Amino acid sequence: MKKIIVVLVISSLFSLVACTDNPSEIEETKNDSTDNQKELVLAIGGEPEEGFDPTTGWGRYGSPLFQSTLMRYDKDFHVEYDLAESYEVSSDGLIWKVTIRDDVQFSDGEALTVEDVVFTFQKTKQSGSVVDLSNMKKVEAIDANTVKFILREPDSTFLSILVSTGIVPEHAYDENYNEHPIGSGPYQLVQWDKGQQIIVEKNPYYDGETPVFDKLTFLFLSEDAAFAAAKAGELDVVSVPSTFANQEISGMKRMELPSVDNRGVMFPYVPTGEYTEEGFPIGNDVTSDIAIRKAINVAVDRQALVDGVVDGFGTPAYSVADQLPWWNPDTVMEDSNVELAEEILEEAGWKMNGDGLREKDGKEAAFSLLYPADDQIRQSLSMSLAEMMKPLGIKIITEGKSWNEIEQLMYSQPVMMGWGSHDPLELYNLYSSKTRGIGYYNSNYYSNPTVDEYMNKALHASSEEEAINYWKKAQWDGEEGFSAKGDAPWAWLVNLEHVYFINDNLEIGEQKIQPHGHGWPITDFIEKWQWKE
Amino acid sequence: MNLRIRTVFSILISFMLLLIVIVVGLLLGEDSFAINMERKNQAPSYDHLFGTDWLGRDMLVRTIKGLTLSIGVGLLAAFSSTLIALFLSLLASWNNLCDRIVTWLIDLFLSVPHIVILILISFSLGGGLRGVIMGLALTHWPHLTRVLRAEMLQVRSMEYVGVSQRLGKSRLWIARHHYAPHLLPQLFIGFLLLFPHAILHEAAITFLGFGLPAEQPAIGIILSESMRYLSIGMWWLAFFPGLCLLMVVGLFDMLGKNLRLLVDPFHGQKS
Repeated sequence: MKKIIVVLVISSLFSLVACTDNPSEIEETKNDSTDNQKELVLAIGGEPEEGFDPTTGWGRYGSPLFQSTLMRYDKDFHVEYDLAESYEVSSDGLIWKVTIRDDVQFSDGEALTVEDVVFTFQKTKQSGSVVDLSNMKKVEAIDANTVKFILREPDSTFLSILVSTGIVPEHAYDENYNEHPIGSGPYQLVQWDKGQQIIVEKNPYYDGETPVFDKLTFLFLSEDAAFAAAKAGELDVVSVPSTFANQEISGMKRMELPSVDNRGVMFPYVPTGEYTEEGFPIGNDVTSDIAIRKAINVAVDRQALVDGVVDGFGTPAYSVADQLPWWNPDTVMEDSNVELAEEILEEAGWKMNGDGLREKDGKEAAFSLLYPADDQIRQSLSMSLAEMMKPLGIKIITEGKSWNEIEQLMYSQPVMMGWGSHDPLELYNLYSSKTRGIGYYNSNYYSNPTVDEYMNKALHASSEEEAINYWKKAQWDGEEGFSAKGDAPWAWLVNLEHVYFINDNLEIGEQKIQPHGHGWPITDFIEKWQWKE
Repeated sequence: MNLRIRTVFSILISFMLLLIVIVVGLLLGEDSFAINMERKNQAPSYDHLFGTDWLGRDMLVRTIKGLTLSIGVGLLAAFSSTLIALFLSLLASWNNLCDRIVTWLIDLFLSVPHIVILILISFSLGGGLRGVIMGLALTHWPHLTRVLRAEMLQVRSMEYVGVSQRLGKSRLWIARHHYAPHLLPQLFIGFLLLFPHAILHEAAITFLGFGLPAEQPAIGIILSESMRYLSIGMWWLAFFPGLCLLMVVGLFDMLGKNLRLLVDPFHGQKS
């Protein structure tokens, strides 16, 4: 026992000393990578466990880095050509023809041909991974430079698939491809030490703008270790959780990138009674009442959540697609309005009882809110939300669960979820009647015929503007919609800002609005990174 | 001061201190550690002796709540472990075969690292409060069983036991009248000494994420959460709760050892 006490006292003394340390003392260990002009060391998040195979989802959130895509978004989400030279869509929206350039080479020197494009999309369809290509009936090469995609249903979001799918070489593709990717992107993989780091070097055959940096090392460190390494001056770019974002690191500047990496509460939309095919219960008698969902949406103080939970490194969220081109700004609503929320509840018949809880027909306004137990931001959000709803007479019991447990409970209990993709198809996946209960998509069992109609029109739209117009209407057309102003199947709370510290002398240019946090979106414009003049 | 009085005195003090923690912990309601964003991340001060966490909850209140919960869990676990130990040691005295089975069981459980078997049991029972208590209860009996079994073997070879047997008394009668009086003091002290083990193990597996759910104000939860904040200098999140846990464990240890001094006639007057 004595030994333990001694160890504890000593270690606590150390931590005391460490905190009172003056930051200026560490300044001498300045970042010296400016001398090392051509190399960068980065610690920007998790190791992609499934490897670097675009046909199973690599690059879907962010950029594929090793591969290039047919088309790409610029920072304002305008479509640019990358491998493609032009594309056209038939008037019924079913046939897409994409012409590719013939001067592109893979990093092994072989030419990139239409066969590779066809192969990539066939492989992606077969892989049955997170990338859903079930709508693509057929893909074929019609001449040496043109690929034809035939769809089952018109789908204006097919463009996003062309934007996010990196092209893999047919000749070099085997079951080990995910560990030895070869592509036509700006960099090629040199070495992957599992659990530690990957090293990439410039692709000599890359046809785009040549990157400034010859070699990049991505370290896979825990949040603490990455922060410590950055403080020691060993990193040029490091991503940090919002808890660390208020700290200063000498020799590095803070970059706060806005994102649609959102967090919000998914409310089961239907009353209890049904079961899924696997036998999990569907529906919740409290959250199926629109008054409850609306009241929560109106009463919650989103700005307070942003300031409190993520230390200001975020923005209030009003929809799943804030700030993206297809976002409807009308969904922004006045919140933190407890009186209005009370009015809504009173009108719907939820009356206060003696215990400070609202009741309707003998049913108490109480429900459990689930969150993944290891996610601290979601935990804090859930607990803060529960606290905010107390004065309203709505009791929220927060429960941390594993994702496995949540998958069984999410059709019947509200869950603190997160979405945010660069693909408008996400709107369809979350809110369409057709996606009810398909995995995490529409686990609310939400359904509204008007919304369905708008979204179908959006999918069938022949131009991007037309599609965007309908996406916006599906959110809120002035009378109906799936946003909080309409049926309110969700209460979106915050968009997280992705915080990076980067070397004072490094310029990484303007970034896109960042997507939900898998992958490495910050490397999107890596060929534009450079040292400050 | 007489050594005996001193022993009684320290027993009383440690008992009182533990009682205070439990009573205060039970009296504190849910509201006392409510979330308050306006006072988050505060270092210890007169208003908040142990500081506040990232949701503005008072760490002193959370710590006391956590200790109460830990003591409760420890109580349940130690109690059931003692019961198991008593049962197995009585079983061991039945005949040679039973004795071998029990010895084998003890060896089996002692040969696997304790924390591993604890995680295994608690995980396979689905975690949560139930998993932790079952895990703790089912893994703390081997040492005590071993002690009790040795005691039992000794008592069994006594002459008066043989006399009772020849007088035709039933095994149950012998167990009640000859074995139990010898075993009870051992049992009671064993119970108290299991306590600190159970509490530390509860904190440990909760810290590792296999134990209590994150909403429970358990010490293990507090400690594992605070790890994330150590590198930005919020030392008070881990320091005070950890110290308090150590103190409570120490108090139980003291209580058990002093009680043994008091009860055991061979050591009572020795220093």
